Amino acid sequence: MAASKCTRLSSALSRQLLDSVDSVLFDCDGVIWRGDQAVPGAPEVINSLKKNGKRVFFVTNNSTKTRQMYADKLGKLGFDATADEVFGTAYCSAMYLKNECKLEGKVYLIGSNAMRQELEEVGIQPVGVGPDPISGVQIDWANVPLDKEVQAVLVGFDEHFSYMKLNRALQYLCNPDCQFVGTNTDTRLPLEGGKAVPGTGCLLRAVETAAQRQAQVVGKPSNFMFECVASQFDLDPQRCLMVGDRLDTDIMLGSNCGLKTLLTLTGVSTVAEAEANQKSECPHRQKMVPDYYVDSIADILPALQA
Amino acid sequence: MAGTVTSSRGCVTLRGAQIRDLLDAKHNVLFDCDGVIWNGETAVTGAPEVVSLLKQRGKRVFFVTNNCTRPRENYVQKFCRLGFTDVAEEEIFSSAYCSAAYLRDVARLQGKVYVIGCGGVMKELQDAGVPVVEEDSAADREPGTSIYNCPLDPDVKAVLVGYDENFTFMKLAKACCYLRNSECLFLATDPDPWHPLRGGRITPGSGSLTAALETASSRKATVIGKPSRFMYECIASQFDLDPARSLMIGDRLETDILFGSNCGLSTVLTLTGVSTLEEAHRYRDSEAPEQKDCVPDYVVESVADFLQALEE
Repeated sequence: MAASKCTRLSSALSRQLLDSVDSVLFDCDGVIWRGDQAVPGAPEVINSLKKNGKRVFFVTNNSTKTRQMYADKLGKLGFDATADEVFGTAYCSAMYLKNECKLEGKVYLIGSNAMRQELEEVGIQPVGVGPDPISGVQIDWANVPLDKEVQAVLVGFDEHFSYMKLNRALQYLCNPDCQFVGTNTDTRLPLEGGKAVPGTGCLLRAVETAAQRQAQVVGKPSNFMFECVASQFDLDPQRCLMVGDRLDTDIMLGSNCGLKTLLTLTGVSTVAEAEANQKSECPHRQKMVPDYYVDSIADILPALQA
Repeated sequence: MAGTVTSSRGCVTLRGAQIRDLLDAKHNVLFDCDGVIWNGETAVTGAPEVVSLLKQRGKRVFFVTNNCTRPRENYVQKFCRLGFTDVAEEEIFSSAYCSAAYLRDVARLQGKVYVIGCGGVMKELQDAGVPVVEEDSAADREPGTSIYNCPLDPDVKAVLVGYDENFTFMKLAKACCYLRNSECLFLATDPDPWHPLRGGRITPGSGSLTAALETASSRKATVIGKPSRFMYECIASQFDLDPARSLMIGDRLETDILFGSNCGLSTVLTLTGVSTLEEAHRYRDSEAPEQKDCVPDYVVESVADFLQALEE
């Protein structure tokens, strides 16, 4: 464990830190954008990093967009980025089902069209996307026709979530051989204008409770999100920096994977929370202490442009 | 651990004279319904006779169910239909009825309640005179209304969540908005994660919807139904009950038996429903103190086992 952690990143330290890494992984919400607005200075930081020969990746728990949709949003906000640099949970869940679960069959999907597209792209056929209102009487629901080819249930953000979908997932999950995967456990989904709605974590808890089973979770802080990037781009963890706004997802992921970590204060977590974790005796909380913090990632711009 | 004795108390199979002795000692008998006196639309063989005989012997009988899908008057009809004669509405305590009683008598709600629930709950709230926010109001259908900007009623002072076959993301989002006000009460009808249906099938229960809302709001609901004490307190407030002279008969260890333990009642597990004898033994043999409360004092195959003792 580093003797000094949770240090404010000064200009001098910035230069030192940047020299010690080849790749920088950014969370998105609360770090490089908030809703539909870029954090001021963030596009310049990303673009300067690339000019300085660093590789840049975007790692987000948000499952509502495909890699291409994220690339489009990044482009619109002035970031120089390509789809293959983006690792959202829609894409990563599809990779997880294909490569880790070695799924041969369909998946019952509670999720978005973006998730459907990412699954189809890796050759997995999803069933169940879209509105699914209740019909019939109670005994009918236990007897909903089940697709025999479904071998997994995947839960992501779904604004069409309903009792019927919860019921279908439960019926599939009564078979212990049916795999159970969730995109992430975030309790809130941030929206434009600083608003938020209940997040995927809530839907996942509903399904886990009904089925009395725990899902395998793909998103941060699960290591898989980093491994997905690392396996495609041959990353050395010791030469990677994880930049995020949440101690319990971004910084935890960084700690677990042996990356350097930078907390930015433009999002969810605070320095006070980080320092409280640092003082605690609990090993779990110790993993939620960043190496460094900045008020905003724009703060590293001077070091990049020097 | 030296000195620790694993209690082998509990799970005593009731037979013959023991049943008679137990009944002699108890004045009040509380029955769970699903899996105890009926399964779906079929009475457990002998159950109607047992209830009748208990009453003839001067015992008071109550029905305590977490099932919130029917108002009490529907339960009376179901009892009739299934051959239970003279079960009165006052003897039936469902989580829907008790949730309404809680809002009216304990919380003394001054305002409206936002309900995620079914017809049974709505009817009990109406009968209790507790104002409910109208669902499916015209405002929800206004163009541009979405989960991101749904209209809220300023008079809402409580949120009640229970089994709801019409549950949607919109309802979850709205309930979460109301719960941002820490003064707004947060109630759940019951904690059951799933409910059993005919043929060993199951359907998602109130507990799964409550879990979603607790996660969204970062708040814990006050649970009305078993194993919480409130349903017992509701009965006790209307009838004079001595816990030492009361017996709880149920089929679900984590709700009925734990409820009985929590209220100081003797408990009987019947094997015609959800829990098995093996599960009861696992709780009995466990080291964890909180698991001990799920151990029934007695076990019977079916409530029909009481018939012989009652007919003598």
